[in-house]
Amino acid sequence: MHEMSILWLRVAVVLYSLGLLHVLLTVIHRKRERVFRVAMAAFYSGVVVHIVSIVEATVATAHVPANNFFESASLCALLIAVLFLFLYWRYGYESLAVFIFPLVFVLALVGELGSPVGPWTDARVRGAWLAVHIVLVLIGYAALLVTAATSIVYLIRERQLKTKKTAGLSNLPPLGTLDMLMSRALAIGFVFITLAVVAGSIWASIDVGPGWIRNPRIIISLVTWGLYLVIVFFRVTAGWRGRKAAIMVIALVGCFAITWAAHTGLRNLLSR
Amino acid sequence: MKLLITGVNHKTAPVEVREKLAFDDRSLPAALEQLRASSGIAESVILSTCNRVEIAVTTRNGYDPQADVDRFLSESRSVPLGDIAPHLYHLADEAAIHHLFRVAASLDSMVVGEPQILGQLKAAYAAAKAHGSVAGFLEVVLTRAFSVAKRVRSETGIGESAVSVSYAAVELAREIFGSLSDKRVMIVGAGKMSELAAQHLHRSGATRIFVTNRTRDRAREMADLFQGTIVEYDRFLAVLPEMDIVITSSGAPFYIIQKTHMRRVIEVRKNRPVFLIDISVPRNIEPSVNEIDNVFLYDIDDLERVVEANVGERKKRAEHAEEIIEAEVDRMIARLKAREVAPTIVSLQEQLEQMRRAEVARLRGKLGTLTPEQEEAIEALTRGLIAKIAHGPISELRRQAAEPEGVQVIESIRKLFRLES
Repeated sequence: MHEMSILWLRVAVVLYSLGLLHVLLTVIHRKRERVFRVAMAAFYSGVVVHIVSIVEATVATAHVPANNFFESASLCALLIAVLFLFLYWRYGYESLAVFIFPLVFVLALVGELGSPVGPWTDARVRGAWLAVHIVLVLIGYAALLVTAATSIVYLIRERQLKTKKTAGLSNLPPLGTLDMLMSRALAIGFVFITLAVVAGSIWASIDVGPGWIRNPRIIISLVTWGLYLVIVFFRVTAGWRGRKAAIMVIALVGCFAITWAAHTGLRNLLSR
Repeated sequence: MKLLITGVNHKTAPVEVREKLAFDDRSLPAALEQLRASSGIAESVILSTCNRVEIAVTTRNGYDPQADVDRFLSESRSVPLGDIAPHLYHLADEAAIHHLFRVAASLDSMVVGEPQILGQLKAAYAAAKAHGSVAGFLEVVLTRAFSVAKRVRSETGIGESAVSVSYAAVELAREIFGSLSDKRVMIVGAGKMSELAAQHLHRSGATRIFVTNRTRDRAREMADLFQGTIVEYDRFLAVLPEMDIVITSSGAPFYIIQKTHMRRVIEVRKNRPVFLIDISVPRNIEPSVNEIDNVFLYDIDDLERVVEANVGERKKRAEHAEEIIEAEVDRMIARLKAREVAPTIVSLQEQLEQMRRAEVARLRGKLGTLTPEQEEAIEALTRGLIAKIAHGPISELRRQAAEPEGVQVIESIRKLFRLES
């Protein structure tokens, strides 16, 4: 990919990342109008810069940049972003932003990581970077486990209230409290896991080179993250809560357990 | 006798008797004054609630105040003693303390575990205190009763579960929503039962109440009770999605809220939970509504089952509470006895010391001049002697202080050593 094009794409990725803030606040609490406006302005600018990047690449190579996975990812991100802007302008589908912002951000990031910045300057930087990734993952997983535990308690409590067997159970917290706890932990987990995916992807792209995306561990992480995104989206927009949400979260934790295994235990086991 | 409780309660007297004996806040100071006029009565407290009228007095010098208190009750309430005598109970000393602890802990209440009685007892104590008619024994016992009540409440959790249908509805609402402060309540059909439930909800913080009724006047009446909003009866299904708690008690002979309605409601609400309380017979809400996710439907039988279970639970907890009270009464008695025994020990020691000094002084003249060593030996000898004599009775006094029959032994020791003042 053309050098200038990559630079522009990087600027676009930074602008897109502001959208994550909006997602965080929306899921944790109510929507903050000002934050949304800032995120939206950044998104607009991001799209413009992104277009510049694609045009640069097209001019430089004299054809549309969709030669490899990374270029396609970037192009795909731009198309989704433009489609969202159209829907937003035409119908005011604001709630979609919760889904679109992170998706466009991660796709653009993956596209950008097709051309690594160069090898590690220092082994210590490599190690520290990896440590940051691991810490982010651990915090994200902890939040996710809290969500799962809360979901299980929710299911028990809901069962009791539905079947009207309520005597002597007032030591469990009320459903409303559990639901709130679930949604907060889910949001915090989402933010940290997203940051961890970003950190991990960048690390892998520098460490392995353009081939990083074909690593099954990376693929499984990205797919699990996508599932997480879908759940967060449905929770915010369609109001998935209660029993259905609790079951989905427990399923999600299952997926993350597989991802975890792929990154640690199983890898050693399989390579033996 | 030191402490006497005279009274009637919901078990011993019908309401016709209780209402005649009741004291209101205004007549209380005069009544306390009247009791104080009796020379044998040291302290007095009057507790008057809708379920009981009780008078607790402490006496001076073993005076028996029973006749005085009975006469006071009959005269001040202008009821012939013969009319109330069969309903009165008299409890003295340990039995009185036991009773007082049970009353404070709400074990003697009509609804066991109800929380009001402790407040009423505290108010009675405050009134007597303000009037200057408690200081000393009764005060010690009453303040102990308050902390025993608190201990029973926190250790057994006896007041925790709801034992009335309307309160059970509030409890369930709390179990579903947590805080009720921002919840919207709709009452469909303004009956007595729904009014009661709404009242409880209102008191628990659910201040946004909507009322709908076929006759508008009745809706108006009820809406005024809670500063509620009236919703037109033919429009209430349209506003249903905005409501978190719905209470139905209309006389309609069919389901006014059906499964299809609730499916739509839950969709509009984006799955936020709804609590439906159907206290009407015949039922107003289609029972299968409960199958929808995030909809919680309780009918009158469900609520009654909850209450029944809670009552059973309360009985179990009351047994535990009785055990706590037994133990606390024993502790109280021991403490009171220790209070009595301390002055006895002091006066015994003083008495012996006085005897010793008098005897030494009487003999000193006959002994002539003595060396300081000899003087010292006489002091040591006499002191040692009375210490040995006193040792037995004093340790017995201390031991008996904790015994149930200790009072008699303490009395005999006082008599033996002529400690009677």
